[in-house]
Amino acid sequence: MITVSTDLPEEILEGRRNHGLNGRMLSDRDLTVTDAFGLRNQGMHSGPPSGAESLPVPTTLLIDRNGEVLWVDHSENYQRRSGPEYVLAALKTHLD
Amino acid sequence: MKGTAEAGVAKGKTKNVGTTLGLLSLVLAAITVALWFRQINQVAIPENRSAFVLSFLTAVALGIGAFFARTRWFGGVAAVLAIVVGGFFPFSVAISRQEVALNGIRVGDTVPHFTALDDQSQFFDSTSLEGRLVLMKFFRGHW
Repeated sequence: MITVSTDLPEEILEGRRNHGLNGRMLSDRDLTVTDAFGLRNQGMHSGPPSGAESLPVPTTLLIDRNGEVLWVDHSENYQRRSGPEYVLAALKTHLD
Repeated sequence: MKGTAEAGVAKGKTKNVGTTLGLLSLVLAAITVALWFRQINQVAIPENRSAFVLSFLTAVALGIGAFFARTRWFGGVAAVLAIVVGGFFPFSVAISRQEVALNGIRVGDTVPHFTALDDQSQFFDSTSLEGRLVLMKFFRGHW
């Protein structure tokens, strides 16, 4: 499990403490990783308050052992994102 | 004298109608907000939010109706709150849409090589993922 956000390392650390998150959490303030995946949000009407230039489109990816994408879920809307049941169902489908 | 008294009673009655409308508008707006945040907590805001929008706009309409019918002060306060809340959420729904990354990564693509710092400020290289099944999540961060 890997997460990518524009938070700085210390901000991620704080979020991890507050929410009890596991997994490797990466900092992508300059959106290099986000751009490599083509996931920069083009439609932001206002910049995020954090100081980053933009944000990634909320996206969940399932990647196989050869680095190939098995499943992608974008949210078209930042008020929505992949719910846990949805992700678990996809995991089940692809791992069985 | 009698006529004035009757007019007074009638005026009091409309004020009751207006006050009731005002209070109703706030109750409706409050219930809709409560449901909205419950859905957010469950990460289950539906794709089609027209029921929410309709409910909020009904609250706005009731609030405006309260002023037309004349309301007592507390009905008026309730109506103003309902109009503000009931107007804000449909607005937020309207601006929440964002463009999906059209050139974004797709099923079948190979993940690009990348490096980044993690929350311990440790260097991370994506080659370390080879041979492993990975769930990767891009999200907006803690704010």
